[in-house]
Amino acid sequence: MKPFEHHSPNSLEQAFDLITQDDNNSYYYAGGTDINLQLKSGILAAESLISLKNLSELKGIEYKENNGLKLGALTTLRELQRTKTIYNHYPALSQAAGLMASEQIRSFATLGGNLCNAAPSADLAPPLIALGAIATISSKFGEHKVPIEDFFLGPGETVLEEGEILMQITVPPPNGETLFIKHTPRMFMDISVVCIAIRLLMNNGICNEIRIALGAVAPVPLRAVNAEAELAAQPFSSNNISRAAQIAAEECSPINDIRGTAAYRRRMIEVLVRRGLSSLNENYSKV
Amino acid sequence: MSLLGKSLTRIDALGKVTGETLYPGDINMPDQAYMKILFAGRPHAIIKTIDTSAAEALDAVIAVFLAKDVPVNEYGMMLKDQPVLCGPGSEKPFAERVRFVGDQVAVVVAESVAIAAQACELIQVEFADLPVVSDPLVSMQEDAELLFPDKESNVFIDYHILRGDVEKAFAEADVVVESEYRTPAQEHAFLAPESGLGYIDEDGRVTVAVAGQWAHEEQDAIAHALGLPLDEVRVIHPAIGGAFGGREDMSIQIALALAAWRLQQRGINRPIKIIWSREESIIGHHKRHPYIIRSRWGATKDGDITAADVEVIADGGAYACTSTKVLGNATLMCTGPYDIPNVKVDSYGVYTNNIPSGAFRGFGGPQGAFAAETQMNKLAQELGMDPVELRMRNVAQDDTVMSTNSTLPKGVTLDKVIESCALAAGWNNGIAGWQRSGESAWPPKITGKTKNHIKRGIGFAAAFKNIGFSFGYPERSWAKIELHGETEIEKVVLHHAGSDVGQGAHTVFKQMAAEAAGVPVDKVEMRLADSAGKEDSGSASASRMTFMAGNSIKGAGEAALEKWRNEERPAIAEFTYRPPATTPFAPKTGESNPNFAYGYVAEAVAVEVDVETGHVNILDVICANDVGKAINPQQITGQIEGAVVQASGYTILENFVQQDGIVKTPHLSTYLIPTVLDVPDRVESIILEYPDEVGPWGVRGMAEMPYLPFAPAVIAAVKDAIGVWFDEFPLTPERVLRGLGEI
Ligand SMILES: Cc1cc2nc3c(=O)[nH]c(=O)nc-3n(C[C@H](O)[C@H](O)[C@H](O)COP(=O)(O)OP(=O)(O)OC[C@H]3O[C@@H](n4cnc5c(N)ncnc54)[C@H](O)[C@@H]3O)c2cc1C
Repeated sequence: MKPFEHHSPNSLEQAFDLITQDDNNSYYYAGGTDINLQLKSGILAAESLISLKNLSELKGIEYKENNGLKLGALTTLRELQRTKTIYNHYPALSQAAGLMASEQIRSFATLGGNLCNAAPSADLAPPLIALGAIATISSKFGEHKVPIEDFFLGPGETVLEEGEILMQITVPPPNGETLFIKHTPRMFMDISVVCIAIRLLMNNGICNEIRIALGAVAPVPLRAVNAEAELAAQPFSSNNISRAAQIAAEECSPINDIRGTAAYRRRMIEVLVRRGLSSLNENYSKV
Repeated sequence: MSLLGKSLTRIDALGKVTGETLYPGDINMPDQAYMKILFAGRPHAIIKTIDTSAAEALDAVIAVFLAKDVPVNEYGMMLKDQPVLCGPGSEKPFAERVRFVGDQVAVVVAESVAIAAQACELIQVEFADLPVVSDPLVSMQEDAELLFPDKESNVFIDYHILRGDVEKAFAEADVVVESEYRTPAQEHAFLAPESGLGYIDEDGRVTVAVAGQWAHEEQDAIAHALGLPLDEVRVIHPAIGGAFGGREDMSIQIALALAAWRLQQRGINRPIKIIWSREESIIGHHKRHPYIIRSRWGATKDGDITAADVEVIADGGAYACTSTKVLGNATLMCTGPYDIPNVKVDSYGVYTNNIPSGAFRGFGGPQGAFAAETQMNKLAQELGMDPVELRMRNVAQDDTVMSTNSTLPKGVTLDKVIESCALAAGWNNGIAGWQRSGESAWPPKITGKTKNHIKRGIGFAAAFKNIGFSFGYPERSWAKIELHGETEIEKVVLHHAGSDVGQGAHTVFKQMAAEAAGVPVDKVEMRLADSAGKEDSGSASASRMTFMAGNSIKGAGEAALEKWRNEERPAIAEFTYRPPATTPFAPKTGESNPNFAYGYVAEAVAVEVDVETGHVNILDVICANDVGKAINPQQITGQIEGAVVQASGYTILENFVQQDGIVKTPHLSTYLIPTVLDVPDRVESIILEYPDEVGPWGVRGMAEMPYLPFAPAVIAAVKDAIGVWFDEFPLTPERVLRGLGEI
């Protein structure tokens, strides 16, 4: 690892000033659990690292029934997993965080880091996409908002411009049942071979709203819009559930890598989407 | 009161849980410098030139050593085929070749770890790449690229067994089962990656403090490479963070010694320290051998196995390491512990540009047992016979003539372990022979709703494993015991070089020394883990340490007591135990007396398979192991459970991928070892104690044995669950789904 400078700005202004727009070798970081590995392995050569940890604007968890959930980018995975309101109102998000990494890593790793690192397998992306979450992004020049669905551009690439900071994630008030499923060869401490999140709102046995988000099966976490369309405004049956699962498998574009072949990943999407839809449907029929 | 059979608390427990115990990486010496080893980074090439000028120009670089600095540039436990450092300038023929990615090219010593790493990057190595040989089947062909141009072939060892008339037996057989098995490489993944210090001790000896398995072998390898007499080299083993065979061969030892010694010659007398990263460890040390085993067995319709014809091919990787012995075990064990009158085995150890293969718990046994036991289970299916019944009909006994045309040492208890395990797993022996009743309490029933994509099954397998290297290897173990006191023995001092690699050897040494001298354990002091002042006690491997050390301690104890009775004060005696002689395979027939002792084991495994995702979940394991005498039952249980956990990784999860000689899984994030959630929910250890005739107090070795039947038992259980035989593992979810034809 090359030597680098380290900064811990205490205000947003300072943080902004530390990265200029044509600066390619300075990086913000939060928990450091992704960036550290990249530095050590030489994938990344930084001249300076800027810690975001002292910025109060990036902290806080706030839930209001009418406005939903506001999560500072520095929210740790452990907080996502353990905060009661999140667990109660957004179980898929809390479960996804709880299935990531280890207790130690979860205490360091942040929500913002998981999203900004933009791994196709980032586990928090599918639940946030399914929940319709929105990112607030700031820079010296102002603030703008982007749905998480549109946040990712490719592996390791997001809409963030040089010098922009992801400030906050807002999640709309809970609307329907949610679920997250992660598929890994190992039971725990493993990176998703595929993962899925679904949000389903049923009214009188009819699918009113459905969002299906898929992870690790395309350059970016994506929505299975065709599968969603297959189910919209209908009652669920084992037939349309299976069909939607097949469509989801077709609309992703996985690759072969050390964790699994494309064919296997597609197959797992089909299985998990079918299982996820059936299970949510069962929850509704119980009520 | 005898202390044997008591679960004495581990003598190393307190220090290890409090963190007081120092592993080599924890030790720092005043004024130490830091070392880094430059790996080749490519699988097959000739090094044309090495330019170290830029590295040496760095201020804080103390020295860079290359092949030309190694007086006798070679090592290897069985064949000295491995250069200490690859590159031009040494006398070793073809030492300028690199043959795998982890071949060591340069040793850098610097004032800090960071500078040493920077210097490595500044070393300019000019390579001329050679064709990469990564498939052992290709490597065996006559026109294959030779890894060692001075050898005729890439096949560096072959064994052959020929007994009876195999073809005639096949012609007369009622059923024949034929399969090609492939077993995977495995990484030891011990807790502590290689680390250590090299320095010149107060007596001027070149000293290395590392985690190893056999201090005297390491001493010998260092002395040979540096051209020094043995007594000018010293090897110390501080606490050892696991080994499993992975420290049987050299890794950093010779480089540390070389650096300390060469620096001293330049008038620099400083300790040198190195700690390998996990990635360096994974690339830098050998792996379990991948095997291809083609196996054809025949039997009569009554379940009498009459013939076995087996071809065994071991991917030895770039250097021979312990392959010759590992292949010997597989050659013997690929026909199982069964009475088979007609046997033909042809086995080959082959060089490739993969990471060298070497010692790993079981030492060729697991691969042999996988093929043998899966053949047994397939035969049982073909015959419509219960797998336990088939085993009992063919089980080797004291008078059974094995493939080597010799009997096993007296006291064969395979039938006993099979019986105990089978009974615990719900079998019974009725008029129709061994059968499992439908209402068996094992495995535990599922309560609540069962999902229809979850299928359950059970499997059974048995195995035998030799204690010690043997096949003619001159096994020995030395001990010295001092008895101090006047009218009664007040203090016993045991000197022993046997390594405690984390398995608890030193705790049982203490128990055995107390027993041998007839005193309570608190009167025993031990001087251990240092080659200085001690003779060879052999390696902590091959399930031999308690057996061999026990015999040496017992012998030294008896001799010391004799002197004590003759009024010598203190009474001091040394003893070197040599087990009964063994012989290597005869060249064409394999006739031999290969081993002096064996351990026997049987396992039953229950699994659950998700037929939609391919997940295999191991629910429950019953292991019956004849250990002869359990010196410390808790440690025996620990070894059984540990072996099951390690074998479950081997069978299901651990997928070591090499492509064209490049390691694709050099991190623990892609090479997945089991977590606590992946291991079987329950392991029932059944400890049997049928004494071994030559074992100390009846002890048999036991630590590898529970590993052997595990993979074939799981394969049988998965077959029982989903109807598919897998001849290749690990059973990753993807492989299982492919087996089911789902992708
Ligand atoms: C052992 C281990 C296991 C893991 N398991 C999982 C897993 O199961 N699932 C999973 O998805 N991930 C896993 N990870 C990856 C990682 O822990 C997560 O992605 C984590 O959430 C990253 O957060 P961080 O705060 O540590 O990121 P950092 O390393 O601090 O940052 C990551 C990237 O995001 C940028 N960044 C961070 N915060 C901001 C911000 N607010 N604004 C702009 N840019 C920002 C940084 O510049 C950097 O490029 C694992 C990692 C390890 C080491």
